[in-house]
Amino acid sequence: MTNPVIRALVLKDWRLHRPQITFSITAGVIALAILQLKNEIAFTIGAVWFFISIIVLGSGLPISNVINERKKQNLAFLMSLPMSAAQYARAKLISTLGMFLVPWVTLVIAASILVLRRPETTNGMIPVMCILFGLPLVGFSVVAGAALASESEGWTMGANLVCNSSYGLGWYLIIRIPAINGNLKSPVAIWNSPVLMILGGEVATILVMLGITFYMQSRKRDFI
Amino acid sequence: MSDLAIELDGVGKTYPYFTLDKIDLELPRGQIMGLIGPNGAGKSTTIRIMLGLVHQDYGDVRVLGHRMPAEQVAAKWDIGFASEDMRLYEGMTLEWHMNFIRSIYPSWDAPYAQVLLKRFGLRAEQKIKGLSHGQRVKATLLLVLARRPKLLVLDEPTTGLDPVARHEVLRELTAVMTDEGRSVLFSSHNTQDVEQISDRITFIDRGRIIDSMDKEAYLDRWRRFRLEVPFGIELPALPGIIGIRRDGRLAVATSNAFAPDMANAYESTGARVKSIETMTLEEIFVANVERSREEVEA
Repeated sequence: MTNPVIRALVLKDWRLHRPQITFSITAGVIALAILQLKNEIAFTIGAVWFFISIIVLGSGLPISNVINERKKQNLAFLMSLPMSAAQYARAKLISTLGMFLVPWVTLVIAASILVLRRPETTNGMIPVMCILFGLPLVGFSVVAGAALASESEGWTMGANLVCNSSYGLGWYLIIRIPAINGNLKSPVAIWNSPVLMILGGEVATILVMLGITFYMQSRKRDFI
Repeated sequence: MSDLAIELDGVGKTYPYFTLDKIDLELPRGQIMGLIGPNGAGKSTTIRIMLGLVHQDYGDVRVLGHRMPAEQVAAKWDIGFASEDMRLYEGMTLEWHMNFIRSIYPSWDAPYAQVLLKRFGLRAEQKIKGLSHGQRVKATLLLVLARRPKLLVLDEPTTGLDPVARHEVLRELTAVMTDEGRSVLFSSHNTQDVEQISDRITFIDRGRIIDSMDKEAYLDRWRRFRLEVPFGIELPALPGIIGIRRDGRLAVATSNAFAPDMANAYESTGARVKSIETMTLEEIFVANVERSREEVEA
């Protein structure tokens, strides 16, 4: 990020979205605090709240950072700056990814430490935790990819709708897989083929979405 | 270094429902050009091609000596662009925007920005969403002018402004031109604004340049003859007369290449020249557009 204009644009996006990022991290921290209460209901509420705080950020950021800039005609203000359409697209990609990854990594590390410190938690939960923590990242990459590649509100809202309505079903189906469910109380983490396949699928989806986004952006010639 | 700030040579762009057709345009450095055209004439498309924001399908574009769109990044350091559809970030203050622009442009002139704040009656600490339309336009112009660009490109900057705000904006643009090295391209469908500040005038309609020349020469060339023509006399088709409207004994002839001997030519046919009137830019604009459309349709 040596280009000063790209750096200025990324910093601008961070400043504009500081309240959203702060809100997400705060909500995640509150969820983790609830998770620490020695009560099964509190644990469930905390877990749900934790995921919601990440999912809301992942679905809201691409819309406010990419789509709204066009919709609210801020793009006309930016496109006169000394940069090309491809450089603008690169700045958007860097800022959108960064603004999601920083809270996601922070909250996932904090959640992993706190959950694994609980006496009733076994290492057998580590693979399923990796899968579950990965899902919001997959959802974000799909929504952000749709926003950055299409720059269309319709496509982005569609991607959002599909992702947000799939989380519950995804978690339900994953937990019901016997090869995963049966190992939750194992004293050691078991990385069997269903676990690796799902994790591989998550990584592949993220890479494909990033690839599509890079490809579409490299073809971008015009701002409008 | 070329003496031209803007040079378009045979530039075209085709959209499904609009074609910009072989545009030739030249703006010498240090001049203000008014680009006049009705809504949908191609003013904004031409400007966006000039700035490299949209790629032309064919033709050459040079701005401040840079080939566009390939060298748009280098060119845009010296171009200030403001358009009617440009919006600042509503939730942020004008000061935030000033800091943002200052972080990009080393040429940012902070004392001049303070002068403009006062002159435009703006407060830096005010959020954009609290500003009126006129104040937003002035805020955008402040952000553009304080960069001290060599070329100002303004796409309909006075649209929607009240007369006082329009006057303030036009006054500032005129003041900006005291720096003779600076060039301005100013698009509008408001001919009064353009007439007030421009050195050169370019008319555009339906994606074609229909005329482009020095404003004074332009206004000098156009005249309206009011004639009294006895029944039975046909007015001759004089060279330079682009249209005659006749209503009974009265006729109005419009010339785009006025010469004093035209009056003699009419008088020699038995018609009486009641008056020879200069035309406003708006009247010239309308006459020019009508003539151009008739030519195309014929």
